[in-house]
Amino acid sequence: MLKNPSRTRFTIRVRWKLTVASLKMFTRQKEAIVWTMLLPLFMVLLFGFISFEGLGKIKIGIVNQANSGAIDLVGALKRVQTIDLKEGSERFERDQLKIGERHLVLVIPTSFTFSNLDDVRILVNDSKPQETQLGLLILRKIFDDMVFSEQSIVKRPNLKIESIASHNQTYIDFFLPGVLSLAIMQSGIFGVAFGFVSLKKRGVLRRLSVTPIKPLDFVIAQVAMRLIVLVAQTIVLVGVGILVFDLQFSGNLLDLFLFGVLGGIVFLAIGFVLAGIVKTEDQVAPLANVVSLPMMLLSGVFFNRSNLPDFVQTITEFFPLTYLADAMRKIMIEGSGFSDLNIQALGLSCWCVLSIWLAVRVFRWE
Amino acid sequence: MSRTILDVDSLFKKYGDVIAVDRITFQVNEQEIFGILGPNGAGKTTTLEMIETLRSVDEGTIIVDGLNIRTHSQEIKSRIGVQLQSSSFFEKLNLTELLLLLGELYGKLVNPQNLLREVNLCERSKSQIGQLSGGQQQRFSIAAALVNAPTLLFLDEPTTGLDPKARRQLWDIIQRMRDEGKTIVLTTHYMEEAEALCDRVAIMDRGKIVANAPPKELIKDLLSTGFKKERMERFATLEDVFLQLTGHPLKEEQSL
Repeated sequence: MLKNPSRTRFTIRVRWKLTVASLKMFTRQKEAIVWTMLLPLFMVLLFGFISFEGLGKIKIGIVNQANSGAIDLVGALKRVQTIDLKEGSERFERDQLKIGERHLVLVIPTSFTFSNLDDVRILVNDSKPQETQLGLLILRKIFDDMVFSEQSIVKRPNLKIESIASHNQTYIDFFLPGVLSLAIMQSGIFGVAFGFVSLKKRGVLRRLSVTPIKPLDFVIAQVAMRLIVLVAQTIVLVGVGILVFDLQFSGNLLDLFLFGVLGGIVFLAIGFVLAGIVKTEDQVAPLANVVSLPMMLLSGVFFNRSNLPDFVQTITEFFPLTYLADAMRKIMIEGSGFSDLNIQALGLSCWCVLSIWLAVRVFRWE
Repeated sequence: MSRTILDVDSLFKKYGDVIAVDRITFQVNEQEIFGILGPNGAGKTTTLEMIETLRSVDEGTIIVDGLNIRTHSQEIKSRIGVQLQSSSFFEKLNLTELLLLLGELYGKLVNPQNLLREVNLCERSKSQIGQLSGGQQQRFSIAAALVNAPTLLFLDEPTTGLDPKARRQLWDIIQRMRDEGKTIVLTTHYMEEAEALCDRVAIMDRGKIVANAPPKELIKDLLSTGFKKERMERFATLEDVFLQLTGHPLKEEQSL
């Protein structure tokens, strides 16, 4: 059949108008805004302000039986910023150690002088080896300094220390690309599955099918609307990451959109598959959760997949969300380009073909 | 004699082993209100949906405005106006936006205010569909069927579920549209509605058309056979005609 130019113009205009109308409807749906925008943002804010990594202060308790005799030592300890210093009786400090409120307890005997350290005792919390070791090193250093100055040994190695402005990768750098991918998955699967089942059930699709437009026109408009929302999600999340959390965004924004759209299409198609399979509205939520929950938990969104057992790692490697989250993370943190992400691009493309094929097979208008 | 705008010939449709529409033939003339009257399951909606291009035709022909449905379904879609039974519209758009969008689907720029005035809904132009009463929703779905300025309009049980006042209001609208030159094909299972509203009625039962004439003629024919109602109020109603022709009464409530 020959392509009719006025028909083509009509089709483009109709798809555009349907997309605009769909966007309008989307923005008027409070719950949709909450799920696609606010929830991911809230997750980023929550996890961004909680510090999971790095050492806190070393909590040292002092049992000072020497009183003023140890004034120099206590003063020196107080000047160390990484130490949180408390004083108390031995019994009290021991109890604090037992409940984890102290990493070390330093018992300074009445006989204390810098030339007589024999009776100094250090109680350590053996369930916190990292902090304990560090605390011991600091204590040893202070004792050494004091003893050296007492004995007038002045020849000490002088290390040159240069401080470099650096950005250490924080949890948010890991988490934000994951949440972004998660948000893309959730709005794709849930948005389409719920949306279409409801449109079907309420007879809206039937009503559309008596107009001259083709079903494909409406599907294309819906997909276009979702992809526009997806780009907006990406901009908002990355923007908040950069502005609020000093996110190190070293990649190309275009690559990020490209992968976002590729992943978005996969999850939208999965949404259409679910909308095609379910018989009633009640079946949507359980089925969508069965599909999305394993990915949410095992695709390396919240924690690194390397923490998982080997066989689980092998399986989850092929999840679409894993490909997407890995790609997003590599683009954002490592500054990878499209050419460095062949595996992810290939993986998502395969899912794309598979899910669209399935969607075309199972999706029904009525 | 006015022109035939819809010509249905030997239309047949089967769902599995169940025959839904059994070789029915009828014509609808321009500018008349043609009613298909029958109980639920008689095949009214299936007939209408085949003409509306929503369902495939097993056998028989349908010619709409000179176009054969098998070869020109797309063209027919753009010419007819359709109101479906139990269908709805997007929830989050207001009536004005919905009519504008529906117009776009036909490649037409519509004037929503004019369409809403047509069905007495001017003051609800900024409301969403969920905020309307049942009668208002039905009236809106008629306005929605008018976006492409069709001359032939299909209304599937337009008054089902409405209270008497809302029903009368809808009758007025339908009659006014006929007077303005439109042709209306509607289905109903309300006897009184068919009698009061329709210029011509096809009585359908179990997939067949058992009678097809103006309501008054059907009643007159029945009376001429010597029919008398047991308790006399009128000589006979369309209900009696139905009973006589099908041998069973309507299964559902039918009074106003």
